Amino acid sequence: MASSLPLHHPTHCFISNPKLKSFHHGCSPRPSYSFATDIQNHVKPIRATTETPPYPIYQSTQVEESLSELEPADPDFYKIGYVRSMRAYGIDFKEGPDGFGVYAAKDVEPLRRARVIMEIPLELMLTISQKLPWMFFPDIIPVGHPIFDIINSTNPQTDWDLRLACLLLYAFDRENNFWQLYGDFLPSAEECTSLLLATEDDLLELQDAKLASAMREQQHRALEFWEKNWHSGVPLKIKRLAPDPERFIWAVGIAQSRCINMQLRIGALVQDSNMLIPYADMLNHSFQPNCFFHWRFKDRMLEVMINAGQRIKKGDPMTVDYLRGQKNDMFMQRYGFSSSVNPWDVIEFRSNARIHLDSFLSVFNISGLPEEYYHNSRLSNDGDTFVDGAVIAAARTIPTWSDGDVPPIPSMERKAVKELQEECQQMLAEFPTTSEEDQKVLDSMPEARRTLEAVIKYRLHRKLFIEKAIQALEIYQERILF
Amino acid sequence: MASVSATWFYQDRGLRGIASADAFVTGKPYSKNFQSSFLGSFPAGILQVRFHLNNSQRRALLLPCIKCEKEDESFKEVSVERPPYYSYMDSTSGQLEPASGARASIPGEEYWPEGTASRVRAARAPEPTGKSLGSPSYGKNPGSRRKYKTSVAASESSNVSLESSDPLESESSVDTTEEPNAFSSDYVVYETEPEQEETGYGLDKKLGLPHPFIDPKVKKPIENTLSIEEQWWNWKKPEKEQWSRWQRRRPDSETVFLKAMAETGQVKIYGEHPTLTETSLYRARRHLFKEERLRAEQERLERIGPIAYYSEWVKAWKRDTSREAVQKHFEETGEDENTQLIEMFCHQTDREYRVMMGTDVRIPRDPLAMRMKEDQIKQIWGGDPVYPTVNYIQDPDEVIDFRGPDFHEPTPSMLAYLKEHGKIISREELEKTLANEKTEELEMTDMDEAMARAVDIGEDDDEGEDSDVEVEEEAGEKITRNWSVLKSTPELQKSKEKPKKENPLSLEEAIDDSENLTDFLLDFEEDD
Repeated sequence: MASSLPLHHPTHCFISNPKLKSFHHGCSPRPSYSFATDIQNHVKPIRATTETPPYPIYQSTQVEESLSELEPADPDFYKIGYVRSMRAYGIDFKEGPDGFGVYAAKDVEPLRRARVIMEIPLELMLTISQKLPWMFFPDIIPVGHPIFDIINSTNPQTDWDLRLACLLLYAFDRENNFWQLYGDFLPSAEECTSLLLATEDDLLELQDAKLASAMREQQHRALEFWEKNWHSGVPLKIKRLAPDPERFIWAVGIAQSRCINMQLRIGALVQDSNMLIPYADMLNHSFQPNCFFHWRFKDRMLEVMINAGQRIKKGDPMTVDYLRGQKNDMFMQRYGFSSSVNPWDVIEFRSNARIHLDSFLSVFNISGLPEEYYHNSRLSNDGDTFVDGAVIAAARTIPTWSDGDVPPIPSMERKAVKELQEECQQMLAEFPTTSEEDQKVLDSMPEARRTLEAVIKYRLHRKLFIEKAIQALEIYQERILF
Repeated sequence: MASVSATWFYQDRGLRGIASADAFVTGKPYSKNFQSSFLGSFPAGILQVRFHLNNSQRRALLLPCIKCEKEDESFKEVSVERPPYYSYMDSTSGQLEPASGARASIPGEEYWPEGTASRVRAARAPEPTGKSLGSPSYGKNPGSRRKYKTSVAASESSNVSLESSDPLESESSVDTTEEPNAFSSDYVVYETEPEQEETGYGLDKKLGLPHPFIDPKVKKPIENTLSIEEQWWNWKKPEKEQWSRWQRRRPDSETVFLKAMAETGQVKIYGEHPTLTETSLYRARRHLFKEERLRAEQERLERIGPIAYYSEWVKAWKRDTSREAVQKHFEETGEDENTQLIEMFCHQTDREYRVMMGTDVRIPRDPLAMRMKEDQIKQIWGGDPVYPTVNYIQDPDEVIDFRGPDFHEPTPSMLAYLKEHGKIISREELEKTLANEKTEELEMTDMDEAMARAVDIGEDDDEGEDSDVEVEEEAGEKITRNWSVLKSTPELQKSKEKPKKENPLSLEEAIDDSENLTDFLLDFEEDD
């Protein structure tokens, strides 16, 4: 059932292995976890978009929206975890129209060490190792249970999300399990933006055939799996887990979007695992994250830690990088959201035109290695807010040449720029709708289905990205030094 | 007015019977005087009194009772006195050391074992407060407790958001209402006279400065205490300020005795305390003094009679103990001296008896020692061993002087002493005695001497007939011929010399003296 776009976990996993990163345990704590009684704080305007992991922070190109519709989450949300020795330090869980989010409760100075903001014990998670033999932490599945056979029947390479979904459904059924309580805070089927739940119309609205077909395949796969294992003759123990396919597909969607892949060390064994972690999955995504995950093997806790040297203001959302270096369609496929400032987005240019990389980078003050382009704000004027993830993505995707000290020939550069711009325009023209139209559509239906919203946003972002690339090329053309 | 006067009651002294006639303001200190004056001038002065009373009543109404605004306020008495113990700083942590059961200070976070910091942080995290609106569905309805439901129910969710924001607004309004209350009361606050400040002891106590436990002004001496002299434990302070107790006069048994002797008049010393010279003189002659005392005691006993003498140790015997009184008593009752003595001894306690007799009757007790004062006894022999006195401390480095009265005399010759006492006799005397014993038994004839000479072997027949003296002289010369024998046997030489000294030697003695018959071989070579 392998689709063209590989569904299995991407190559860049969250390897939070103490070897790779030098973060230490035991930072001094932030004792006050308080529910912010003042919701009218100066939270930045986040359209924390969709839920499943509600997502990113835009750069300030976005219009500042009126403040939050964010409210503190239900106090039981933290309480059920606190009772089971999960801790949150200095953060608030807030809920907006687009879903849950984690926000800082107080200012943080840039420190030398990463600070722990959440620690979640292993007992609260649902974990399956990625490779055979599959080990479950915590081991909630009894040996004789038929769900065990179902899980065993999955394909070891590709069906990790199906295994997780089965485990999740079983956890809902198991008495005294934490997920019975936590499941109330997961997005329901109506709120879930995962494209698995999208209808055919939505998929058509994607304006991206590849993605649409990929999604169709996914849906089909999930449905097949359900039909195979939840046929009518199946024992009640299984049947009550997912009485209808929607529930199962919802579970798969949850599993796909909230799964965290980490390399765990438990005891002496180090293994990659897929984990559903209760509170850490409420973190949103950002391309400039301020948090990361760390596995503390000593007492088997997952720590969510703030990056060292990161200055955080009160009310800042805590974000994590979900997928490293993936295009928007991967995000869409897996998580159900997209971003217009994805610095890893790709435009496929077909022409041979190339521009000089170094001058392009210097025009926009982008520095760093190609893997880690960033906008160097020290070089530029302060008022320059044009450069965002899209420009960085453009810097990566636009075909460039760089040959040591050979200077660019301006006329050739201009020609190249023109060619590229034309191509972008062509691409834009291929879309049935323009970005403005998409925006209008979005604004016109405030109560659209989540999936539809996500889909429309996806294509909007795509167009915005291409437009941004055109703009960037324009500016580049202007600023080429002669 | 009459009604007013009728209703006023006394609160003090219960003189309620007069309540109707007198209206007194309760609690006025001069009410009694009032009453007396009032009674005295009752008919005439009613009007005046009433008038007076009116004024007083009015005054009572006008003078405001200064009360507290809040009735139920009980002031907590807090004193700033410092605690009556010392507080120390802990050497390791620098904090205040706990008063009891101190454990070592807990090290800081740098020294904690791994993982402790995270556990501590987890334990310190505050518990979430807040009441939840919904209730869990236990896996049946995932997403049921989220606030922002689907866009279909967006209107409902907006209502929810409004409702949840309301209680928050009401919270903020509460804070503002409390403030105006403080200024809304219209009581006027009078400033009373400032309290008298405490001074001296009271001030010290209040401020926590070091102070004695009892106010020295209020302090009374403890009743029923014995004087220093009466106390048997004798906590007497030294007469003059001394730097150390070792500087006091160290009691020496001789010094104390000498002092006691001086007090009784037996010896005269120059000052209050005997000097070293006097002490050494005493040491030289103490046996004499003791004899003197014993003689004096004897004398006294003979002089004043036994009853008077022994009445010293019978405290309960108060009667006249002079000889005349005893005589009189004898004449009256017919009890002779012994009987009266027995009678007296019946009143003696066993302590007195013990004192009188001592433990060993064979040892004549020194009467001065028996009669010494308590402190003097203690200085020499110490006091109660169970409750030792302070004065019994002795110098551990003291070199005790055991020298007796004949210290200045040379070591006496035991021989002379023994001889003097006839314990031994000299050797001469012994021999004399022995000789006296021996000469009685042994009386030999000349015949025996001749027989002894005849035992001679034969060489020197001529010389054997000469006098013994010659024989002996020749024997002395002759023996020199056998010089080797003589030299090897020194006792031969000696034994020969002895009989030479004493001329008249009997035969028996000669035989006894000689070793063997060869001794009689005398003078062989004198012919040549």
